[in-house]
Amino acid sequence: MSDVNVSGTSLASGPRQAERRNTLRWGFTLLLPLVIVAMELAVSLVEPRVLSPRNVVNILVQSSYLLLFASAQMVVILTGGFDLSLGMAVSAISVATALVTTGLAAAGTPMWLVVLAGIAVGLGFGLLVGLFNGLFVSWLGINPFVVTLGSLNICYGLATTISGGRPVFNVPDAFSRLLYDGNFIPEIPIPITLAAVVALLLYLLLDHTVFGRSLYLIGNNPRAAHLAGLPSKRYLTLAYILCALLAAFGSLMLTARTGSGEPNLGGSLMLESIAAAVIGGVSLQGGIGGIVPVILGTLFVTMLSNAMDLLEVGGYVQQILLGCVIIGAIFLDRIRVTRT
Amino acid sequence: MAGDSTGGALPTSPFERISRSYNAAGFLPVLLTVLVIAFAIFIPNFLAVQNILNVLRSSSYLVIVAAGQMLVLIVGGFDLSQGAVVALTSVSSALVMAGLKDTLAAEPGLIILAGILAGLACGAVVGLVNGVCVAFLRISPFMVTLGTMSIGTGFALLLTSGIPVYGMPKSFVDGFGRGLWLQLPVPFYLAAAIVAVMWLMQNYTRMGRYIFAIGGNIQAAIISGVPAKTYLILAYVMCSMLASISGLALTAQIGSGQAVINPQLTLESIAAAVIAGVSIKGGVGRVEMVALGAILLLTLTDAMDLLKIDPRIQAIFLGIIVVLAVALDEFSKRRAALV
Repeated sequence: MSDVNVSGTSLASGPRQAERRNTLRWGFTLLLPLVIVAMELAVSLVEPRVLSPRNVVNILVQSSYLLLFASAQMVVILTGGFDLSLGMAVSAISVATALVTTGLAAAGTPMWLVVLAGIAVGLGFGLLVGLFNGLFVSWLGINPFVVTLGSLNICYGLATTISGGRPVFNVPDAFSRLLYDGNFIPEIPIPITLAAVVALLLYLLLDHTVFGRSLYLIGNNPRAAHLAGLPSKRYLTLAYILCALLAAFGSLMLTARTGSGEPNLGGSLMLESIAAAVIGGVSLQGGIGGIVPVILGTLFVTMLSNAMDLLEVGGYVQQILLGCVIIGAIFLDRIRVTRT
Repeated sequence: MAGDSTGGALPTSPFERISRSYNAAGFLPVLLTVLVIAFAIFIPNFLAVQNILNVLRSSSYLVIVAAGQMLVLIVGGFDLSQGAVVALTSVSSALVMAGLKDTLAAEPGLIILAGILAGLACGAVVGLVNGVCVAFLRISPFMVTLGTMSIGTGFALLLTSGIPVYGMPKSFVDGFGRGLWLQLPVPFYLAAAIVAVMWLMQNYTRMGRYIFAIGGNIQAAIISGVPAKTYLILAYVMCSMLASISGLALTAQIGSGQAVINPQLTLESIAAAVIAGVSIKGGVGRVEMVALGAILLLTLTDAMDLLKIDPRIQAIFLGIIVVLAVALDEFSKRRAALV
């Protein structure tokens, strides 16, 4: 709203003001890491267990799941949209995967085939959800809010009907071993390894491919992207598909962890994933963001709730505090965007 | 709006007249009529008095909430906190009424008044926070109301520990919540009155025009002297207070204060508004259409209930319907733009 004034002053600004803006920008870049460190140190004075190796590993494992969902969300937020269906898609995928793997295992299929089929069904389901969202948003030009609200309802219906509303137990151990219990690298839990690999791939995709750079342009200025000859519609569809695939992969990891398909798995994930991305500095206006902000935002959200758990803050109060943190973080982000 | 503004020349042929009124009203009334006729033919109990009363009652709550959502959508915003406001209103009004039960036992009227005021105050406070954050701090409405949603739900749960609050005056529950007046449920009159007032506001007052102007182009509105920030805040406060009113009516109908009333309410209100052609980008939206949108959603739900369709499968249908309704609307607009 005040963008007119802001660009006006920046045109007239001298070197000193430019310098101040630069300092401010650095300040904001370092703000979240500093807040995270300060928070952990402060909490450790009251509750030393926060910095115990066990708790640190715990935090990292917790954040690997949220990292997948938040970076899924980031990919579509970059294009100026968002995905409300993410949480429910995670539930539906978890249930579908669990049903397929338990069913095949009961029929005596070889284990490698069961695991493969489970992963294929999960990712296939994600592909369908992403295709639905992407096609309606890009080709029919319907607002992402409406489209993903629709697919949220559809996924909710699917998740609860195919499972009858109950968790699907007894997901085969081989599945859990591959995505949760086992080790690729000794001493490092698999979720952390997987999340790190995904983060690295996303970094390469967003920063070093035409597709990735185009997402930023589509979010910044869709008209310019179109005039520049980018296949905007195809890229937009791909962004939603990528988002749903990342969510599907996260859902597979969560299912492997719980060992069951849970229709309520993704209840709060939609909001948490948006909050983590935006707290890290991904702008809901589109065009601003990256994997590093998402990692920082995810760590912050996970550490905050971990610290509150250790300090035995009640769940309802946690909810209130999270709300305050969201508003505060967005306010700071707003200042960052206008002042720097 | 296009239909109203070009109302100079008289239509010549009957076909043209029909197509003009169709363009003015959109496809929603047609869709609703077709559906009602189809349901009346194919579903035996659809036209039973009890069922019609049910639909009217349950859609009243949604009509009120969706009318509020529409205001915020018109100014280019969002309100995700409506469901939290409904819960907070329900809890706080019930707590106040239950708390005054013994001290003011002789004056049930006063108890009810205090409860209603407490509920409306909650709405006003949340609306004010939303409005100030959006207008003065310029935070994205999506994130602000996401935050206040979390805060509001947290407080509602904290106040009650998640347990329903009983002990409201009998006259509040039987007279207001479950009562009939001239054979029709009381909330229906409430909803009708609110729609009428909002219709007058949108069509005949400065406030109505200002709200459209802000949503259409906020820079232009400010330059033409519209006190945009004041009206932005006003829109958010009205939106939350309408949610409060709906929350009071729901509390009276349920007969207890609940921290978890209807988790789908916020999304349903946005769906009702969007089906009714309210643009998410702001500047467009009419309250009578939004009322029809809410009634359409509840009619569909009711028909599926009568057909004994599993509520979980109903969610799938509703999702598809919302997306299709908006897609159809988009198509007809595009065709109109080509012509």
